[in-house]
Amino acid sequence: MTKLQSLRLTCAATALMAASAASADEISFLCFQNGVECDVLAGLITDFEAETGHTVAMEVVGYEIVRDQLENQLQTNAAPDVARVNNLGGLNQYYLDLTPYVDVDYMESAYGAVLPWYRAPGGEDQGIYGWPMELTVTGPYVNVTMFDDAGVEMPGEGATWDDWAAALAEVQETLGMDAALAMDRTAHRWAGPAFSYGAAFFDDSGVPILVDDGFRSFAETFVGWHSSGLMPADGWPAGTGTAYQNAAPLFLSGSVAMHMSGSWMISNYAENITDFEWRAVPAPCGPGGCGAMPGGAGIVAFSSTDVPEAAAAFIAFLAAEDNAARYAAETRSITAHSGLQAAGVDYGDTDPAVAAALSTFATSIARAAETTPQAFTFQGYTKNFVIYGIVPDYITQAITGAMSLDDALAAIDADVAAQIAE
Amino acid sequence: MWNAIHNAFAGSAWPLGFLVYLVLGAVIARPRGTLGARAMAILGWPIELAQKLRGHGPLPYLFLLPNLLVFGIFTFAPLFINVGFSFTEGQSINFADRPFAGTDNWQRLLAETQIDTGAANLEDDKFYRAVMDTSVFVIFQVPIMVLFSLITALVLNRDIVARGFWRSIFFYPVMLSPVVVGFLWTLILKRQGLMTVTLMEWGWIDAPIQWLVDPAWTMFWSVFVYTWAHLGFYMLILLAGLQAIPGDLYEAAEMDGASPWRVLRKITLPLLMPTLLVVTVLSLIKAFQAFEELYAMQVGWISIVAYIFETAGLRGQTTTHGLGVAATASLLIAGALAVLSVIQIFLSGRSAR
Repeated sequence: MTKLQSLRLTCAATALMAASAASADEISFLCFQNGVECDVLAGLITDFEAETGHTVAMEVVGYEIVRDQLENQLQTNAAPDVARVNNLGGLNQYYLDLTPYVDVDYMESAYGAVLPWYRAPGGEDQGIYGWPMELTVTGPYVNVTMFDDAGVEMPGEGATWDDWAAALAEVQETLGMDAALAMDRTAHRWAGPAFSYGAAFFDDSGVPILVDDGFRSFAETFVGWHSSGLMPADGWPAGTGTAYQNAAPLFLSGSVAMHMSGSWMISNYAENITDFEWRAVPAPCGPGGCGAMPGGAGIVAFSSTDVPEAAAAFIAFLAAEDNAARYAAETRSITAHSGLQAAGVDYGDTDPAVAAALSTFATSIARAAETTPQAFTFQGYTKNFVIYGIVPDYITQAITGAMSLDDALAAIDADVAAQIAE
Repeated sequence: MWNAIHNAFAGSAWPLGFLVYLVLGAVIARPRGTLGARAMAILGWPIELAQKLRGHGPLPYLFLLPNLLVFGIFTFAPLFINVGFSFTEGQSINFADRPFAGTDNWQRLLAETQIDTGAANLEDDKFYRAVMDTSVFVIFQVPIMVLFSLITALVLNRDIVARGFWRSIFFYPVMLSPVVVGFLWTLILKRQGLMTVTLMEWGWIDAPIQWLVDPAWTMFWSVFVYTWAHLGFYMLILLAGLQAIPGDLYEAAEMDGASPWRVLRKITLPLLMPTLLVVTVLSLIKAFQAFEELYAMQVGWISIVAYIFETAGLRGQTTTHGLGVAATASLLIAGALAVLSVIQIFLSGRSAR
């Protein structure tokens, strides 16, 4: 064999190896699971592997791992190729722009309303960064059995927070409960009611101006709900600093008649509530509209990936209408796909409470988009997680009397400004 | 099992390498004596060779090396990284993305005016409050811990019935994970917990009390649970100290007819002083670092470590300057702790003389 021949052979072999590597890549995928999301994705992944020959190595973790460790992994180039995230705007600088790899027209037509949440602030970024796998929205759940036992009629469509507070107080009084209304300890749940009271949260150019008349008005009401005992002492006042607290245990144990939470609790409540009837009710209204915070996780690829084409193909596969429909049906979530939203997802033989809750929340999103568009701005704001923590920190101090409400509101303004300063 | 061993070596060159190593040892060390001595000589030939070449001088450092490496990686490297974080800014943990900030983080933590916004600074208030709350915790917790672990050790050093059983009872909480301790006591102390329910049944209180959050009770229960959880550890150190005191001193005292109180004051305590000092310094440092149990119980105050933890963005709310500010705070606390320890050792050294 001459030197030239052997060189040619080597080249051919190398090219072959490279070609086979390009056609079958391994994609590492970090998935956090609250319910059955990753299990459902595992089914879709099997189809993807069969169709493309790529393999997906999925690692299923708790949400805290993604929340607390993913960004550090990204900063040190130790990140997976693809991940399920919910801090959509906050991780923008690490995303892989999928524009060259996916059908841009399809993505824009199907997910155009949600894609801006993934983009850098300023409006110039037109990239496509992921598959919005679901929509979530905040809203209250009520314990119907308690209302029935107390003989109190539930406020209907278009009821305000004041109507609900009055009805809940009546239930509380009649049944002799310690409290009636619980809310998870984060400004993410607080924002919806604050929008209803007229809080704008942002000025026209998208800069946070948290404390305005509407914000103050809801803050006063909220502190009042605690001093009157409508809201429990082991809710917000039991937390310190910016810590998140889940109020679901209070609702599950029957300590309160309403839980201000969101659509992601549907499958949990459907499974775990057996001794009373529960229902999701439309986001209560107020002078500012019927506020609810939209949100939702998405699957994104990172620019540090070695297999951008395979990663993009994986995301494009999941984003296809059939697969998005299957995901929504099997996880019982609200789809972010506008075509499916219009046509309606077939949830099969779902429990009627779940079906009703899904449609209630879907209506809430639509109404929030109409009446409180600032909710979408807040969700797309890259530093919204900072605000989620700061608001409960100071509002709690106003509730416990550690500082006056005026001081707390001033502190919220000052602290948010300091924490978001570049 | 054989499969596992086979798999462990499959495709690896090191069994062969090890064989070569042993053969080399047999050639170089030329083992003599009993079978055990020969085996050791073959196995440890690099050490023996080093000894032959350089004498005994450098050997201790060789043995220190593994420990130094562990300390270097897990103690000193983070310390230097922390210093680095406090003088640079940005959200990244990667120094390449962290521009030098001079004393900006120190001002963000301590100044009256926030340098980025020009408004009043809130960070110094938060930090100051965490320091004050933690100081209150330390001031109560350390003396209580030292006193109770001393009493427990004194009692359990006597010839009481089922002594081993009582010792294990008091040591048991130390073996529990701090998170387990936290959840255990949360079950007792939460609003509808065992404590409230029992006291209400007895009619001692009318309304449920949130023992862990109520401003009047949160510090008491923090100190109580923390002492409960760690008492056994310090008790064990003090027990060892007590048993090191020669028995003939007590015999002589008994013959002289000294009262037990006098024996305690004139023999036990002075001879126990070095151990007590260790216990005091250790518990002081540990109390300043108290975090896990308090975090798991969600007490109603923010300790220094919790403040640093939260500010650094470790709860998922990363902020632009949080990491630098948190690093600065932790350096300040480390400095204060070092000064405290030195003062205490100096004072007790003087009193011992």
